[in-house]
Amino acid sequence: MSSKVCKNCGSSDIDVDHARGDAVCMTCGSVLEDNIIVSEVEFVETGGGGSSAVGQFVSAEGGHVNPSFGDNNHYQSMGRESRAQTVQRARQSINTLGHQLQMNKHCLDTALNFYKMALNKHLTRGRKSGHVIAACLYLVCRTEGTPHMLLDLSDLLQVNVYILGRTFLALSRELCINAPAIDPCLYIPRFAQLLEFGEKNHDVSMTAMRLVQRMKRDWMHTGRRPSGLCGAALLVAARMHDFRRTIKEIVSVVKVCESTLRKRLIEFEDTPTSQLTIDEFMKTDLEQESDPPCFTEGLIKKKVKNLEIELRKKMDEVEDEIHGYQDEIDAELECVRPKLRGVYAAYAKEVVVNEDPVSSPKSDECEDPEEDDVLQAVAKHFGKDVEELTLEALLKLEQKKPGEEEENEQELEGDIPKRKAPSLASILGPMPTAATLGLPESISSYIKDGKENDGDGDSGELDLNGIDDTEIELYLLSDTEIKVKTALWMAENSDYLKEQKEKEAKIAKEKALGIYKERKPKGPKRKYPPIRASTADEAIGKMLEQKKISTKINYDVLKDLNIKPCPSPARVPLTPKKKPSATRLTGRNRNPAKAPLSLSTPLSSLGKRLQPFISGQPNKKMALEQISNSNPLPVPVGNPAGGGGGGGAVLVESGPVVYDDAAAAAAAAEEEEEDEEEACVSAFDLLGKYEYGSDGDYDD
Amino acid sequence: MDSSNDEALDIIITNVVATFRVRCHLNLRTIALEGNNVIYKPEVGKVLMKLRKPKITASIWSSGKIICTGATSEDDAKLGARRLARVLQKMGFRVRFSAFKVVNVLAVCSMPFAIHLIDFTKNNRPIASYEPELHPAATYRIKHIKATIQVFSTGSITLTGPNVQNVATAVEQVYPLLFECRKPLRK
Repeated sequence: MSSKVCKNCGSSDIDVDHARGDAVCMTCGSVLEDNIIVSEVEFVETGGGGSSAVGQFVSAEGGHVNPSFGDNNHYQSMGRESRAQTVQRARQSINTLGHQLQMNKHCLDTALNFYKMALNKHLTRGRKSGHVIAACLYLVCRTEGTPHMLLDLSDLLQVNVYILGRTFLALSRELCINAPAIDPCLYIPRFAQLLEFGEKNHDVSMTAMRLVQRMKRDWMHTGRRPSGLCGAALLVAARMHDFRRTIKEIVSVVKVCESTLRKRLIEFEDTPTSQLTIDEFMKTDLEQESDPPCFTEGLIKKKVKNLEIELRKKMDEVEDEIHGYQDEIDAELECVRPKLRGVYAAYAKEVVVNEDPVSSPKSDECEDPEEDDVLQAVAKHFGKDVEELTLEALLKLEQKKPGEEEENEQELEGDIPKRKAPSLASILGPMPTAATLGLPESISSYIKDGKENDGDGDSGELDLNGIDDTEIELYLLSDTEIKVKTALWMAENSDYLKEQKEKEAKIAKEKALGIYKERKPKGPKRKYPPIRASTADEAIGKMLEQKKISTKINYDVLKDLNIKPCPSPARVPLTPKKKPSATRLTGRNRNPAKAPLSLSTPLSSLGKRLQPFISGQPNKKMALEQISNSNPLPVPVGNPAGGGGGGGAVLVESGPVVYDDAAAAAAAAEEEEEDEEEACVSAFDLLGKYEYGSDGDYDD
Repeated sequence: MDSSNDEALDIIITNVVATFRVRCHLNLRTIALEGNNVIYKPEVGKVLMKLRKPKITASIWSSGKIICTGATSEDDAKLGARRLARVLQKMGFRVRFSAFKVVNVLAVCSMPFAIHLIDFTKNNRPIASYEPELHPAATYRIKHIKATIQVFSTGSITLTGPNVQNVATAVEQVYPLLFECRKPLRK
């Protein structure tokens, strides 16, 4: 810009003349600057005596120079670049959201820059625009250090905070923006304001900040939401300054759960700082730091576990002792009646040997009451046994007086202790075996499993090494089970099966009718109302309004598609539709000019896009191009210079276009589509030879 | 310098995920009706079958692709996969076991010290990220071995990677970084 020192002689005496646009050194006379750019507004006198400012309006967002002479509404709908439109939309969303969060303009601008960066890196694809905007805003919040939480944004958008967080993390990673970590101290003033402490706001905030810093040193803040810490700190600070703030109020402001607050308070209570008085706390700062609370909890859990294990060991020892005592008692008992055993051993062999039957009833008597309980218990078990007869006999005998019949008693006695010997076997009998449990009989199969063969690879053969077939069999149901399960499953899922059947029936029907199409989710088709106009010009005009003009078509080429003026009415309906078919090639949507177009409107007002359509005389350059290329055009080149009026009509029609009713229009629409395809084919060939894009040179 | 301490750190593998193909079309309804421990999800189009012996859960699709999760080692996963293929073979499908690949391994490890997450994140800026509002752990992604490590402030870390070797390498790599930001514990 303005250099204060001359380059040649070094003097600082420079004369800047804005009128001439020069900067001249007064000492040596060298011209330092020429054609200085000035930022002054100049006025020019318009016809009629008024004065208007010189220059063109260039908007900040788009940056296109749109010639809008007189009618400034045009540029909005003129069909700008898609990228510009996206950015424009993003700007509006950012501004809306930003104002709701009371963010200043600088932040909003930064957010827009982030958005543009993301757009360039194609990060907006596949993500909802709302999410991306919110993530950009939050990125700004973090880099600027404003006290906005992700929760606020999710509140505004009614979106899950984790989804927003994921988008935010992805964006920050891709854009390599390292947001500094959140400091809970940032949130304190914001929450304090909401809690309305009045004049003492500052004091309470300060105290709360000290508390938070203390919590940080005590490792309470790693891995926790900063808002929870702030809530706890504010609660304590409020109480310290004699404000009665309930937990519910704090919860509504800070947006954490009540139990979280309580937990934080308890953790703080565990730290040594909590033992200080208020004054001490404000003055001193303890040196020692405590462990993070979750770590301490982990340690406690470990200790508890160890304790349990020890206790269990002791339990086992105690149980072992008890068992030992039991065994001793049993042994003693057995020692008391050794003879019985002898008798019953003989009895067990089914040899009735009456050895000392006298002695048996004596000992039996004293044991009867003991064995009554055992009898009862074993009786049930024995109900299933083969020795039922003896059991019943025993039971009958139980009721009778003991000693009534020696034989019976003998049997009784014989059976009672005899029951002991076979009872174990019979008791063990109905116990579940490995087979019924479904476990393989031998452990050897498990031992085998360690060795495996990696020779399967891609050969496809299943290596059965280490797979026990019997075990595999257990994974399959038997036939009866299959039947039952089938019945159950059918009953359960009858609705779903019905739906599937209906679907299949429908598809089969359509196939039969021959109109079955592969269902592709298509967007809604744009339906254009049929154009009704009295002259070709009006028709063109209306069509241009409806359809969108693209920037990527070389219209000069398309002009050559025009058909000769045809008198037959059959061809007539085709001609106006040839135009729309040609324009619809690229499928890009543009807003056509809103003002009613007629041949009298000056070309320049229509903008550069429409000029090739309407220009009466093609540029010489274009003519040369056309001549040089041999176009296999099925349609003869229309006379572009024909017709009257400024900007002669490209089409010349002999008569008014005849419009039939809707049926014809529908038929015409179908024709149109077919035409489109044909036109597509030929135009594609054409366009392949020319470069894309419209010609830039127009004579103004 | 031995990066793992004198007392060896226990890396406990908690989950191994593997995929394989049986190279034949499977009728899910048959599997659902004949199998013992199966859950059929017709809306999604898969069958979940759980094996007891290596404790695994398998998602079976009708195309013949199967995902096998819940194993505690790579060998276990392979064994479970082969068992599963055997079961399907018994049901009558012409299975051919192929393309077995371990896709993901999840392991946990516990450091004997606590870690200051904010310092850790600051030291390893672009690789580590920490969002206390979203998740209590800091995430550290090692790109070239494709491993992700989640670091908690208590000192325990969880590692995920494409195979067990990578996971072990990841621990070796991250240990010195964690050691720098450790917090000496007071007993």
